[in-house]
Amino acid sequence: MSLPVNSKLAEQVKAIPGGEMLMMCFSCGTCTSKCMIQEKLEPAYNPRRLIREAVFNLEDMAFNDRTTWLCSACDLCYPACPQKIHISGVINAVKQLAVARGRQNPYQTAKVDESTCVACELCVEICPYEAISLIGKKVPFRGMISMASVDPGKCMACGICNAACRSTSIRLEQDFNDNLVVENLWGWLESEAV
Amino acid sequence: MVDAARQPLIEVKAYTEVERVEGFVGNFKVTLREKAKYVRADRCNGCAACAKACPVEVPNYFEMNLAPRKAAYIPMSQSVPLIYNIDMDACIHCYKCVEACGALEAIDFSMEDKMVEEEIGAIVVATGFGHFDPTPMTEYGYGRFPNVITAMEMERLNNSAGPTRGSLMRPSDSKSLRRLAIINCVGSRDKRYNSACSNFCCMYAIKNALLLKQMIPEMDISIYYIDIRTPSKGYEEFYDRAREAGIKFIQGRPAGITEDPDSHQLFIKSEDITLGRVVEHEYDMVMLNQAAIPQPDQNHMSSVLNVAQSPGGWYMEYHPKLRPMDSPTDGIFFAGACQGPKDIPASVAQGSAAAARASRILHSDTWQIEPTVAVVWEDRCVSGKGQACGICERACPYGAIDYTKGISAEVITAKCHGCGACVGECPHDSITQLHYTDAQVLAQIRTLLAVEPEKKILAFRCQWCSYGGADLAGTSHFEYSANERGLRVMCSARMDADLIYEAYRLGAGAVLFSGCHPQDCHYITGQIAGAKRAARLDKMFARMGMNPARFRTEWISAAEGDKYARVINEMQAALDAIPQDELKAEIERLKPEMEKKLSKLNQIPGVEEAMIQVDFIVSEMQNKAVPV
Repeated sequence: MSLPVNSKLAEQVKAIPGGEMLMMCFSCGTCTSKCMIQEKLEPAYNPRRLIREAVFNLEDMAFNDRTTWLCSACDLCYPACPQKIHISGVINAVKQLAVARGRQNPYQTAKVDESTCVACELCVEICPYEAISLIGKKVPFRGMISMASVDPGKCMACGICNAACRSTSIRLEQDFNDNLVVENLWGWLESEAV
Repeated sequence: MVDAARQPLIEVKAYTEVERVEGFVGNFKVTLREKAKYVRADRCNGCAACAKACPVEVPNYFEMNLAPRKAAYIPMSQSVPLIYNIDMDACIHCYKCVEACGALEAIDFSMEDKMVEEEIGAIVVATGFGHFDPTPMTEYGYGRFPNVITAMEMERLNNSAGPTRGSLMRPSDSKSLRRLAIINCVGSRDKRYNSACSNFCCMYAIKNALLLKQMIPEMDISIYYIDIRTPSKGYEEFYDRAREAGIKFIQGRPAGITEDPDSHQLFIKSEDITLGRVVEHEYDMVMLNQAAIPQPDQNHMSSVLNVAQSPGGWYMEYHPKLRPMDSPTDGIFFAGACQGPKDIPASVAQGSAAAARASRILHSDTWQIEPTVAVVWEDRCVSGKGQACGICERACPYGAIDYTKGISAEVITAKCHGCGACVGECPHDSITQLHYTDAQVLAQIRTLLAVEPEKKILAFRCQWCSYGGADLAGTSHFEYSANERGLRVMCSARMDADLIYEAYRLGAGAVLFSGCHPQDCHYITGQIAGAKRAARLDKMFARMGMNPARFRTEWISAAEGDKYARVINEMQAALDAIPQDELKAEIERLKPEMEKKLSKLNQIPGVEEAMIQVDFIVSEMQNKAVPV
């Protein structure tokens, strides 16, 4: 998808599906008070502020804002928004623009293991953000093969592909990798048993 | 209210419903249903003996169902008139009230609803507003959490005549409270429910907070808001007083309320926008300041009164700035929140204005109306010749035309608002509108298209919206193509197909069919009739093989000057895109078809004579004897 580069941030966000309602925001703060990431993970997380940055074309602020990169698109805020703004759609649009400008996602995204991926397309089908596609790539010892590739501008690090992959070829490496999840699960089961 | 009831010239008809409104300004015939109270008004002295004797208890709607009432009841002690009423849905027919009433013999179980017809000169509608029920907003837990209450419930809970005799207490454990939260904009400014602002709730929240602060000075009161709106005289000072009194204003709309199920304490997490962080506070009770919405039966009443509704469901006024208390129907006026949410000062002002407007009618022997009324040519009306028709009667949004088969249609002039919908619809051209007769409009079209018609854009504008839009485009200096020629009629419903055929017959380059947005129509359903006709014409022209760029339908409000200019410029660009020879060939090709459709045009009274004069002027214009 080619993105308009020379127009203002707000106009660009509005042009991307999901970001159309951007200008309707009257800064009531419902999204922030509904947000689970704000509550559990990152106290400075603030979707309302990000929308405001987008409205006022504050590109650098918006692209550096952790809100841009941390949203998991759980869409708890969407039904709560009195202005019916698809907030995760706006955040996703900002993120796509940031990636198009060459920004790197400072947080993890799903990674494909080149040595084991068999291009079964399970992850492509299951990804709710359409972030995974098949590409052709030359890989050491395997030659030119077809394999999955993750678009870091679209990946929300939800881990659904990780759970779906039958050859454990696509996974989250840092915070929620398989080992950590299993460890957490055991810890939880033990605490429940007590 | 008591004063009004005592005034000999005022008759209060309580417990009465308006069933039907017929007639017109100064001569309304109103059918009223006087509902059976089962207590005779001429005998009841309001002693309450029946209510004391009555064994049935049901929730009292006046107390927001927080307190009971008997089946024999008055809703509140100040009820006017002070006559008891027996609720037959709740009554168990034990007749204890009859015994208690004794020698007065006021209770009469044989009473029935009575239909009364009254002759009325003018009607003032003051039906007020309804309340948004916050139950669907599950995030606030109204109905699930006992200590989450609505503003109206709070109104009863701290009222000295209310169910708690004025001592404020929590519904869950009847304890007094220390921490109260008020959430504004519950269901208003919310596109999921009512997108409009309810106008008075900001001031209402501040009033309630200050009142409670005066009652219980140590109470901690927070108001959650999106914006505080204090637009009238003295309101901002009142807001100042509230902040001075220590009421906390938190800018941030809470996403939800959580409850501790044991203690029924409530927790509100919200973003404090001014502080820039998320805060969580504990409260004993939360009051939801819910939206003001139209009364539940407002749709029904609008069809009974034959007045239109604005987009939110409120009654539509004649003009939002100049005639806010008048309905589009002469002789019917609005007072207060039935026309739109408003506070007490504004309601009183509008009520007084409506009463003054109504008294003008009551003190007049005659009534002046706009002169642009419809007139039937009786010799042309096919109904008079025995054919079934009635199209004009169905077209009239005001019921101003009487059609009986065998008699030519008759216009009730006092009810006619002069939209011209009947004129536009009549297939036999046997009805016309004064000051916008076919001859007059056709004369305008011919002179506007006298010279180089293929270069012109003929714009049909309705008086109220698109004409105003064009006007605004002019006063705002929005430039648009100088080839546009505007022509005003009262409503898009008046834009007769014949007029548009005539424009194309004369070789107009393009025609704009413009009017109000459907919700803005000043003639109830005029725009709908216009839109239907425009769609029909569009299809027909497509079938004839006309270039689609030559006919355009647009709804442009009086505030959309920029849109008017844009539409005309787009039409000009589209017209320029058609090669000249192609356009001329198309005009020539369609001319015979248009002429066929207009074959009976000269039979319309007045047209032939007028056209002789107009053709002279047109030829003068073509010879450059008069400026174009």
